[in-house]
Amino acid sequence: MTSRRIALLLLAALTAANASAATIELTVNGLVCGFCAQGIEKTLRRNAATDDVFVSLENRLVAVATKPETDIPDDVLRKALQDAGYDVKAITRTDRSLQALREQMKARK
Amino acid sequence: MLLTCRRVAYAIASIAACAVTPAAQAKPIAFAHGTTVMGEYGAGTMTEVQAFYAPTYRYSLGVSHLTLDSAVEPATREVSYFRANYLPKRWNLESAQANAFVWAGIGRAHIGETSDDQFAWNVGGQLDYETRRVYASLRTDLHEASAYSHRIDTLQLGFAPYQHDYQTLAVWFVIQARQYTGDLFHGTEYAALLRLFKRNAWLEAGATEDGKLQAMLMFNF
Repeated sequence: MTSRRIALLLLAALTAANASAATIELTVNGLVCGFCAQGIEKTLRRNAATDDVFVSLENRLVAVATKPETDIPDDVLRKALQDAGYDVKAITRTDRSLQALREQMKARK
Repeated sequence: MLLTCRRVAYAIASIAACAVTPAAQAKPIAFAHGTTVMGEYGAGTMTEVQAFYAPTYRYSLGVSHLTLDSAVEPATREVSYFRANYLPKRWNLESAQANAFVWAGIGRAHIGETSDDQFAWNVGGQLDYETRRVYASLRTDLHEASAYSHRIDTLQLGFAPYQHDYQTLAVWFVIQARQYTGDLFHGTEYAALLRLFKRNAWLEAGATEDGKLQAMLMFNF
């Protein structure tokens, strides 16, 4: 009985963690070279909520994985990219992990 | 007086020309909170080392040292500047980016022929346009002191055989045309270059039509 409760609690904790650890995908204009990507990655990694960053020049995509139980508001993301010298065209939140995103982009090539 | 007016007029015209003519070379501002270190060896005529820190993506501050060695007559200049770079305009397009940069510096020049040290100043600008496949830049740099007036104009056109991504090596084939004024070099100097960059490192090397080395190194961190 006790072990079933523990298992249920663990399952609930894992589900909550997965639900809150989101990936934010930004479509960015002007993303044409490695130096652009480097500047954006450096800027986003300075945010305490950022867990990982993935940049794809091919897809004009900047993806940010946030740490569990955290989020980065859209206006903060837009300002960060603007301060780095780029224009954000769209922001979407997805459930796919950054790893899944990397593999998907790799498979497309 | 007339000469001074002409130089000032030229300086203003150079900046204005840069602001309206479409064109990238290595950029004097890489990204906000970024440090750029670059060095260029220009076929024996010019050698330049620069280091800049950018508090924002709009401007950077730093130092540079330039050596000019005339290919025409026995004249050398060693110039050290404090320099400010400014990005007045950036165009972020869907699959392209264009920039207009201007800069200005003040410092000391050592004149080789006379062993004099003089106050020196520098203004310049750059226009660039790049996609992941093509690249063009036009840069003009005016160097002034009472003993000399030199302008270095550089046009670069580049082509990438494939579209690189962030984690992959970028390869570019670049043609460069450069003109010097003030008896540094007669005519236009052409060079064919191979440019490679990945992450924060950039290497560009090739040869002029005389077979002299033209090279540039740049690091951003």
